[in-house]
Amino acid sequence: MIQENLPVLLVVTLLFTAYLLPIFTKRRPRIIELLVVTVECLILGGTLYLAGLIARQGRAPIIYPAGGWPAPWGIELSVGSLSILFLLMIAGVGLPVAIFATDGITWQLRSRQRVAWFFTLYLLLAAALAGLAVTNDLFNVYVFVEVATISCCALVAAKDDPLAIKAAFRYLLLATVGSGFIFAGIGLIYLVTGNLDMTFAFTELSQRAYTYPHVVRLAISFFVIGFGTKAALFPLHLWLPDAHSAALTPASAILSGLAVKGYIIALAKILYIIVGPALLQALSIDRILLLMGMVAIVAGSLLALAQDELKRRLAYSTVAQVGYIFLGLGLMNTTGLAGALFYAASHAIIKACLFLAAGAIISRTGKERVSQMAGVGREMPITMGIFTICSFALMGLPLLSGFIGKWNLLRGSIQAGSFLASLVIILGSLLCAGYLLPVIRTAYFVPAGTTTTKETSFLQISSMLILTVFVIVLGIAPGPLWNLAWQAARDLLGG
Amino acid sequence: MSFMLVGILSALIGGVIVALLPEESQKLRRGIVLATCLLSALSVWQVAATIFSKTSPLNTLEWGIWQFRADPLALSYALIAGTLWVLTAIYSYGYMPQDPRQRSFYAFFLLSMGITLGIAFAGNLLVLYIFYELLTFSTYPLVIHRRSEEALRAGKKYIIYSLVGAGALLVAIVATGFMAGSLSFGTGAILDQTATSGKTVWLLILFVIGFGVKAALMPLHRWLPQAMVAPTPVSALLHAVAVVNAGVFGLLRVVYSVFGPDLLTKLGVRPYLLVLASFTVLAGSIVALRQDVLKKRLAYSTISQLSYMLVGAFTLSSFGLSGAIFHMLNHSIIKITLFFCAGAIEHNTGKTRVSELAGLERTLPWTFALFGIASLGMVGMLPVSAFWSKYYLMKAGLSSGNWPLLLVFIISGILNACYFFPIVIQGFLGTGPIRSTEGNKETYLMLVPCALLVVFALVLGVYPNLAWSYLVDGVVGSFF
Repeated sequence: MIQENLPVLLVVTLLFTAYLLPIFTKRRPRIIELLVVTVECLILGGTLYLAGLIARQGRAPIIYPAGGWPAPWGIELSVGSLSILFLLMIAGVGLPVAIFATDGITWQLRSRQRVAWFFTLYLLLAAALAGLAVTNDLFNVYVFVEVATISCCALVAAKDDPLAIKAAFRYLLLATVGSGFIFAGIGLIYLVTGNLDMTFAFTELSQRAYTYPHVVRLAISFFVIGFGTKAALFPLHLWLPDAHSAALTPASAILSGLAVKGYIIALAKILYIIVGPALLQALSIDRILLLMGMVAIVAGSLLALAQDELKRRLAYSTVAQVGYIFLGLGLMNTTGLAGALFYAASHAIIKACLFLAAGAIISRTGKERVSQMAGVGREMPITMGIFTICSFALMGLPLLSGFIGKWNLLRGSIQAGSFLASLVIILGSLLCAGYLLPVIRTAYFVPAGTTTTKETSFLQISSMLILTVFVIVLGIAPGPLWNLAWQAARDLLGG
Repeated sequence: MSFMLVGILSALIGGVIVALLPEESQKLRRGIVLATCLLSALSVWQVAATIFSKTSPLNTLEWGIWQFRADPLALSYALIAGTLWVLTAIYSYGYMPQDPRQRSFYAFFLLSMGITLGIAFAGNLLVLYIFYELLTFSTYPLVIHRRSEEALRAGKKYIIYSLVGAGALLVAIVATGFMAGSLSFGTGAILDQTATSGKTVWLLILFVIGFGVKAALMPLHRWLPQAMVAPTPVSALLHAVAVVNAGVFGLLRVVYSVFGPDLLTKLGVRPYLLVLASFTVLAGSIVALRQDVLKKRLAYSTISQLSYMLVGAFTLSSFGLSGAIFHMLNHSIIKITLFFCAGAIEHNTGKTRVSELAGLERTLPWTFALFGIASLGMVGMLPVSAFWSKYYLMKAGLSSGNWPLLLVFIISGILNACYFFPIVIQGFLGTGPIRSTEGNKETYLMLVPCALLVVFALVLGVYPNLAWSYLVDGVVGSFF
């Protein structure tokens, strides 16, 4: 029974455990942490099982009608390669970050009760993202988007700090506006197609689109603005630097790594499944996405260069990297789209690890700014080493996962005939080197006085090492994940 | 197991081992470094033996995208780099025994060796790119070794220039893969010989920028003089031999394995490429005249000499390629000797500027003697071997109908004399202490490699066929 209902069980387990956690508020946090880690492991196992199932049936997606009611009356879940890719990201990044969080979170949150609430929100976010991964229904998307948004905002506010609360409020405000746009877009699509199920909506839309061109354009614009705000697409990114730099370290890691990607993948699903590649090209949406991506890469990177606070620098870097994914979405060929998806997965791991490392450095040495980082290489060699490897990966150095994404985005750009896009990708990498290499250089090569700071705890290092190993393995042997991304791209583009 | 891989991997593993050893175990570290260099170099010689024995003029290895290829061109570069690495290791034992940071120095020293051999033996553009990009990062810690403000600034410039070049290179490679469908080096050229559109010219420009940074082609050369702030073994080996030759090697691969002489002739780019390279030949020498810091003078001389090789390659003729390959060999030997001597002077007397060298010949007779003979080579005079490479380069100029090139080489030769001979003459002037300070063990370690190299250069000058028939004929034979 479990196997048949696995798609929905993944989401439900996360939700159920999330609601279960507050029961343990009065008990020791260890129980909570154990539960969280167990659940994440379960999700990972479930995802891998589903991946095997799909592989056996020739990569065709598993269609699962919730409650047994088929579409278009019931909500349908569709677990294809894209869903598996994202679920793997959620579990693969969520697990190490949760492990990292278990160390010191009680102290940081200053109360045992809040630990339960923190992890409740954590699992709620994971549940919502998992839901976004598997759903095939538009309104379902909205529900999960809302759950994810509220969880994100609350995660930012979890740190009882005026800056964090201010950032969370700003995030909530802008995100709610975004939600409004998404809702309006859904409404418009429903108006035109009379369907909320994505596959059915596509069929209707491809017939009706030319009768209502402006409505369709409006709906797409609303989706891009709405999801773009939540995904921090430039210039809708204004909430992100404050939110991700003020939040607790594990929260920043999850937010920058996973949450932002969830919205992009939801947008990709809507654009490719409901609107379809042909209509997207006819309406020039692909070129708009390409352009916005390029602008985001350059703007985000330049803004990152200007930041001295390490976490803010990483936050603006996320803004830039989101641009890469949007650029790939606009390329309209399998190589480019697969490259974008692989890049998203790779960035999730890298950025999460970078935030964790930065958080460890800040909490152990008290140094928040890049200009203060002198000597960290000696004080915390392992953490800094991890930071270095992940930085190199973000810059797209070969033998690390970032290179695979970059290489394929370049191939996709050349194939799509956009030489400018390929130049911007390279420029983005150079600027990334510009804002990350100085951190490494200052930490290792600038002489500093002697201190007594020691390396972080075993748990934190292990979690960061897991992520780093993923980065290295994916760089040298990207095969399995790349095949997944390729199939996902084929599914999306094949219509 | 192919000896190509033994060469590359042994150096890389050696580097990792040295990184793990504690800072204090100097003797053990020295032993491992020397052993690793020898193992690696001997592996390269083994590969060379098979290739040049004409039994199988090509050796390839494939594992997915990891293609390796040992053809005569690859071996010219690999032999030069590998052998000189061993000599540099010995030199460094004499030059920097008291250095406080030898662990990181030797770790990156060995890693760079493995990566350089990876560049040499790369069988396709992707593998070449991977090692090329990695070389920038493995040589950075060597450039900034002294950790001074100046060193950090030089390192920053080095990285910026190298990464921009690598970026252009990556786009070029992706575009090539797209245009030609394959990135692997074969017997012919990769690109379709009829692809004579504007796009192909842009592709060439990107490649020239990409490799031109490391090949110190003007105006992409500005990182090199700054990088002279590194310890002398680094300046000598990396920035006169390994890294810069990687750029030249890359351009040779582009001209011959990617585009092919025919396509380039059809595209009509030859005159532009020749002008670019000739400019660097002359401008490099002119700027060298004005340098007082000895290592900077040598750096600008390197910039000029590298473009000698590029001029040869860009003539798209067999004489030009012969001259380019032979000059790569000769320049490396001679330039490394010059740098070693400069380092010996600095180590023994602390003097780094030409103007300070007055009368030092009495203190360092052997150093100046070796420097003097090597200088003859730079100018292109017999009996030093560089005469022959220059001769063939000039012949290439004539035979391809570019007689202005003759003038370029002649003028450059005169300029070389103008800035090299005064250095030696300075040594004889004025009054310095009479007793030679060369008797100690450190100087011995520094000068013996120089002596070996100078002897080899002289022997090669008298019997150029020793290397000519293997290296040069092999390379030219594989492309023409």
